[in-house]
Amino acid sequence: MQAYLKYIAGRFLIFILMLCFTSSAPLADEVSEIRAMTKEKVDIVINILKDKSLSKNEKKEGILETIDGLFDFSLMARLSLGKKHWKSLSKAKRKEFSELFVERLKLSYLEKLDLYTDEEVVVDEARLTKKNRVEVLTYLVTKDDKKEMIYKLYKTKKKGWRVYDVDVLGVSIVQTYRSQFSGVLKKETMEQLMERMRSAGELGA
Amino acid sequence: MQPHTSAIFTFFAIISFLLHPLMSNPASAQEKSPESFQMLSETETEEDTEDEEFDDGFEDEFENAEEEIFDPLSGYNSVMTEFNDGFYVYVLDPVARGYRWIMPDPARRGVKNFFHNLLFPIRFVNNALQLKPKNSGEEFLRFIINSTVGIFGIWDPAKEWFGLEAHEEDFGQTLGYYGVGGGFHIVLPFLGPSNLRDMFSLYPDMQMDPVYYVENRPYNFPRKEGEYLGLSRQTIQQTNLLLLKTVNRESLRIGQYENLKKDAIELYPFLRDVYEQNRAKLIEE
Repeated sequence: MQAYLKYIAGRFLIFILMLCFTSSAPLADEVSEIRAMTKEKVDIVINILKDKSLSKNEKKEGILETIDGLFDFSLMARLSLGKKHWKSLSKAKRKEFSELFVERLKLSYLEKLDLYTDEEVVVDEARLTKKNRVEVLTYLVTKDDKKEMIYKLYKTKKKGWRVYDVDVLGVSIVQTYRSQFSGVLKKETMEQLMERMRSAGELGA
Repeated sequence: MQPHTSAIFTFFAIISFLLHPLMSNPASAQEKSPESFQMLSETETEEDTEDEEFDDGFEDEFENAEEEIFDPLSGYNSVMTEFNDGFYVYVLDPVARGYRWIMPDPARRGVKNFFHNLLFPIRFVNNALQLKPKNSGEEFLRFIINSTVGIFGIWDPAKEWFGLEAHEEDFGQTLGYYGVGGGFHIVLPFLGPSNLRDMFSLYPDMQMDPVYYVENRPYNFPRKEGEYLGLSRQTIQQTNLLLLKTVNRESLRIGQYENLKKDAIELYPFLRDVYEQNRAKLIEE
């Protein structure tokens, strides 16, 4: 009887341990899935760029649609402004800032793609940096050199993994905006900053 | 006996169900912790949690923007950045565009490779100083192959046929490797962003740049010593080479600077940041 109970208990312990191991395995799978997802999106963008039958506007729309499912733009807006400034804003202002920023970011991304000629994008490894952060290493390969681009993703609650920052040659987009915003906000008001962003957007468009 | 066993079974079943979500996936367990809860909530939906809180995990990942960067020359730097920007936009860029129009693409690439090959000593020495003998060795092989098979370095067969990539290192990176900090930021005329460390590092690197060892050649331009502005022949010849090198380099990356600039809200702090982050990355490698 005693031995039998021990046997049962032992079996259950093994069962629980196995559960733990089998279900932590998908994490490694998840990382490769994230890599695959990033690669898929990047490939779609490249294919759109290469497609000569599309007009410039069609390309733009196609690309924006693709990256909308990959980037968490509003998180990028919040991170770029930083905790302190974000908290000081009213809800309406936050929304306005977020929209301006996202608009700007998208525009800048599209303009970068305008320089696209014959580059090849190589999606290298994906690595788990923290429990809910993954970095996907990519290279922009041209005839002369290789530029490193890192997509940094985090796990959202509902929409899976999304990009919250991109490092180009070690330069973080969010970090760069962060220091700029805080620099400007030392001298100017939020209203002036948004005015600047508005006019910059118009210039670029 | 029968009820006893089933009680144990139920007990373990409940335990395993309770533990399972916690142990199985650290990411989902993380979501449940209170401080990361709000940030991870999706933001595109108009939820109340959207604007409420900042996840500290994210805040830690980026530098504290409130910290003052030590930048004693910021006034001068801003002015010099404007000057360099103007020089690029109104002089260098148009010249480079004209040059691009005249020179076919393979020729410009050849010129670039030629000058790049000449800088072999800088890469060789700095890789060695950073205790990267493999990289130094590869640089050495590259130099031998490209200078001969690649005809004075205008082609890069070392990379194309043998897969040997260049390992860019300069003295600033070597100092950084040994823990020397950048010091404050300095914008150099024409050369652009730099810092204390990298500015002083230009000198040792210049000593290894063959362009600065151009000899006086009597048949070359200018015909007489001191013909133009009293400058020595050597200076003028060196300047010509530097100009060719610069214009040629810019002709291969037209539009990139303008594109980069569009991310700037204020040009100087933006370029400073980009430079420092990029250097940190290069040193880390």
